[in-house]
Amino acid sequence: MKTYFAATALALCFATGAQAAGDLNIYAWAESISPALIEKFSKENDVKVNVDSFTSNEDLLTKLQAGSSGYDIATPSQHFLRVMIDQGIIENFGASKLKAYENIEEKWRNQWWDETQDYSIPLAYGTAGFVVNTDQYKGPTDSFKYFFEPEGELKGKIALLSYPDEVIGAAQLYLGVPFCSEDQAEMKKVLDLLMAQKPSVAAYSSDNIASRLASGEVSAHFWWDGDSLRARKAGSPVSLAMTKEGLVGWMDSYVVPKGAPNRDNAVKFVEFMSTLENATEQMNFYSHSSPMKVIQEKVVNTKETAPELYPEVPITFSRTCSAAAQDLVTRVWTQLLQ
Amino acid sequence: MTESALPTTAETERRPRTRFWHDLAFWGLLPSRLLMGFALILPIFIIAAVSVATRGAYGGFTWDFNLAGYTQILFNEGWTGELEFTPQYLLIIIRTFLLAGATTLICLAFAVPVAYFISRQPPGRKAILVYLVTLPFWVSMILRVYAWMIILGKDGTLPNLLEILGFQPGMSFMFNDGATLTAMVYTAMPLMVLPVFASIEKLDGTLIEASHDLYGNRWVTLRRVILPLTAPGITAGAILVFVPALGAVLEPTLMGGGKQMMMGSLIQLQFGGGRNWPFGAAIAMTLMALVMIFLIATALRAARREAMS
Repeated sequence: MKTYFAATALALCFATGAQAAGDLNIYAWAESISPALIEKFSKENDVKVNVDSFTSNEDLLTKLQAGSSGYDIATPSQHFLRVMIDQGIIENFGASKLKAYENIEEKWRNQWWDETQDYSIPLAYGTAGFVVNTDQYKGPTDSFKYFFEPEGELKGKIALLSYPDEVIGAAQLYLGVPFCSEDQAEMKKVLDLLMAQKPSVAAYSSDNIASRLASGEVSAHFWWDGDSLRARKAGSPVSLAMTKEGLVGWMDSYVVPKGAPNRDNAVKFVEFMSTLENATEQMNFYSHSSPMKVIQEKVVNTKETAPELYPEVPITFSRTCSAAAQDLVTRVWTQLLQ
Repeated sequence: MTESALPTTAETERRPRTRFWHDLAFWGLLPSRLLMGFALILPIFIIAAVSVATRGAYGGFTWDFNLAGYTQILFNEGWTGELEFTPQYLLIIIRTFLLAGATTLICLAFAVPVAYFISRQPPGRKAILVYLVTLPFWVSMILRVYAWMIILGKDGTLPNLLEILGFQPGMSFMFNDGATLTAMVYTAMPLMVLPVFASIEKLDGTLIEASHDLYGNRWVTLRRVILPLTAPGITAGAILVFVPALGAVLEPTLMGGGKQMMMGSLIQLQFGGGRNWPFGAAIAMTLMALVMIFLIATALRAARREAMS
């Protein structure tokens, strides 16, 4: 029995540990990394690249916390990146000494989520707000008021995301409540606002947003700037609301999870994606803004063609909340959907 | 056989042989034991252990004994900062049971006539019909749910049909409890039809004739003859439908619009955005305990029925 057990255990170790030298496992936001670039990297370096995708930072964090995910690269947003560093679940891969570091736009280097810039190289940034179907809704969109306190035609035609993260942030911007508030009375106001909005909400869902909005199933959806841009370019009648209260900002970065089986390939990939040429191609594919230096003449989404990416309203980046503040956020969300 | 007639010699002979057989049985069953141990029992123990651990600030947990996960199901800090009775999770549990119960009953109402109809067909057609019932299983569950979104949604099949029939155009049947229930009944239906069919097929037609001979009308025949004889299949189908329905996440989220939490989505939230793993594990344990109670009650009833007959 014992020997069999040992043999089985050994076999299991080999089964999970037997990664060929040329593998790279990426865990990224759905459809976020240019498949053409992945193929190019794969050919140039003789590496087999596997890409899995997630649709929320929470999913990513949970997966990495559970340990030995087998991923070599992940792409969390800034506030989750900070948590991952603090929790010691991502590697210090000496990012600040890479060529990629030199290619980060100066204003985006060494931000609060990674002061030494040893754990991450950014890949994209953007905003979240509400997007309307312009065939169905012709009214004003210059304030979150029309989204959180809808009147008339928007009633019953609104959808939010299935996670509290950016949605609560937008509600806080509208109410003037600071992000990560630990004040119960302030967060109660957020709950009251969302409760009053709920009868007008059709769905709380992060899946299938493009078709739900384009088909007119809903007329306003909480969404991201680049996705809205992509949908508009594909012919959907959508428009990102430039709300005077501001937009919720995010920035995603490449990180290397602890215990990544193909760390060298991961670093190679980060370097590859961060060259001027490839960063430009990636930006054009993803349709979000790039924190990297890019070849300006080759950028497709310019201020004229893609106003979504160049908002003139203030942007407030999501922050890493204390446990107490996070509890309040969860409590608001659970009570909203109870 | 002959050995029992000669107990003394058989005893000496049998011992090494039984050990051999015993060993063979042991090694032969080892794969199933390992599978049970590692894939079923160990994970449950892990969930049980996490449910009494202390939550980490950003998800995860530490191994300090803590019952907060369980007390949180009923008592929470209110907006005034005091611990108070909060029925919100209880409401989610009750809603989940109602939805699963409704799914089971509707499935049953459809499955019994369907199974009865199939069982009365000639063998060739019967095989084809049973095959057709299982056909949806060949398609991914998420695709089946998306198909319903296309049927019920705006500009979908049903609203367009109604528009042709002269109803108001641009209707949508998505994002309500009815839509959730429709998808759940649809995905669970084969699980109900097959066991019910298996027991109805074995039903002896002469017993139904006998019932009619004894002046039992159709209703009495159904109630006193058909239902008791097909009870095992109905019970099996009900369990197969009810238990997975309790953990449904996909249908309430996609079809119901995620507006009202079910236990599945509540557990998901605690492990994800809520970053409260022990609480999520505690709800999972509670769900499992409730399912066990349901299963044991069913088993006891079946045993009692067997004892009576």
